Amino acid sequence: MIRLWTPFLPMLLIVPMAVAQNQNYQRDPSWRVPTEAIEKANPLAERPELAAGGKKLFTRNCVECHGKSGEGLKKAADLQLPVVQGQSDGALFWKITNGNPDRGMPSFSRLPELQRWQIVLYLRSLRRTESSQ
Amino acid sequence: MTFPVPCIRPAAPRLRALLLLLLLACVAPIVHAQEAPYFVTYDHHLEEPGNLELETSSTLGLPRSGQRLFFAPYSEIEYGITGRWTTELYFEGQRTSGDSAVFTGWRLENRFRPLKREHWINPVLYLEYEGINEATRIQKEIVGHSEPSAARNAELAGTHVHELEGKLILSSNLHDWNVAGNFIAEKNLSATEGFEFGYSMGVARPLARIATSGQCRWCRENFIAGVEMYGGLGSTLDLSLHHTAHYIAPVIRWQIGDSSSIHFSPAIGLTHVSNPVLLRFGYSYEIQAFGRKVARMFGGKP
Repeated sequence: MIRLWTPFLPMLLIVPMAVAQNQNYQRDPSWRVPTEAIEKANPLAERPELAAGGKKLFTRNCVECHGKSGEGLKKAADLQLPVVQGQSDGALFWKITNGNPDRGMPSFSRLPELQRWQIVLYLRSLRRTESSQ
Repeated sequence: MTFPVPCIRPAAPRLRALLLLLLLACVAPIVHAQEAPYFVTYDHHLEEPGNLELETSSTLGLPRSGQRLFFAPYSEIEYGITGRWTTELYFEGQRTSGDSAVFTGWRLENRFRPLKREHWINPVLYLEYEGINEATRIQKEIVGHSEPSAARNAELAGTHVHELEGKLILSSNLHDWNVAGNFIAEKNLSATEGFEFGYSMGVARPLARIATSGQCRWCRENFIAGVEMYGGLGSTLDLSLHHTAHYIAPVIRWQIGDSSSIHFSPAIGLTHVSNPVLLRFGYSYEIQAFGRKVARMFGGKP
């Protein structure tokens, strides 16, 4: 029984991999942040030096999809855009925490809360300046 | 009938494997998102979509008097198909001291997360098929009643079983603590044994809440520690705790690299049918965006 199955076992993984890969990034209008989450303030806002730790976390967890400078690969959002940077700290924190699993953005709730806030601190440094636009 | 407990020979291959692991710890780049350190309990965090995780773990069972020491290694290939569906394939084996080494089978598990957002309690549904034999000792879950067996591996490996296992996984992140509980129901499709039940629960927390700015291997943020407890709850034929095995196990995970981690757990047996000690250790390596890389090889969109 096992011998008969063995050659087909890798197929069980490869087939779902092939069909699950998709699509270029498009904004998801249904990914809405609750009001109370939008209003949440960053508890580390007065400690900008912690953004360096946020950069390290960003490099480990976000670069694969969002790119080194947050410019966004095809599937993931450009984090430098005003439509992202215009969101409140609380909204970004909520999105990092919950993810958008149906669109490929994983939840990072496994990271300690303060580390997620550190990532938000760092995201603010990705804001595109006038000269770079 | 009693069997003498043979002493373990200092095995050179094992020593080499340990040295290799330590070497990997020294050369690997630094760290990735923390995963829970549990061996038996599942939390609600699934594999990130498109990522492939390779893991090799082992269960070393220290025997009671009259039993034999066993070493049960297993390998896992875990893939995040979507953000709400993770699949995992296992291959397992077993070596009993003074007896033979045998391949004990394979398992295919799937975990589904029905809810899209984080909630106070996050449910995950788990379904696993096991094509194993009676020599299996990895003890990835403890269900039903346990009977110490003195049978030889050759005899046990000849008895194949096909099992279906379901779990209800409930998990919460309370501030920086993860609290998880699993209820397990297992059905042996090869015999009329009824359903067997089991449980596991765990609590874990990272040792540091804030990430330091520099790269460091030994700093507290790279460690997550906790404790888990697991055991059998009888079966539909005898829904009692008589002759059920239960364990309590401190657990620790150390993220040694950008993609790799090791975890360790000494489980203490709490009942007379439990092994006195189960030593569990594992090494995992994650390949990010593996699915995208495979898709690119076949001409798919990056």
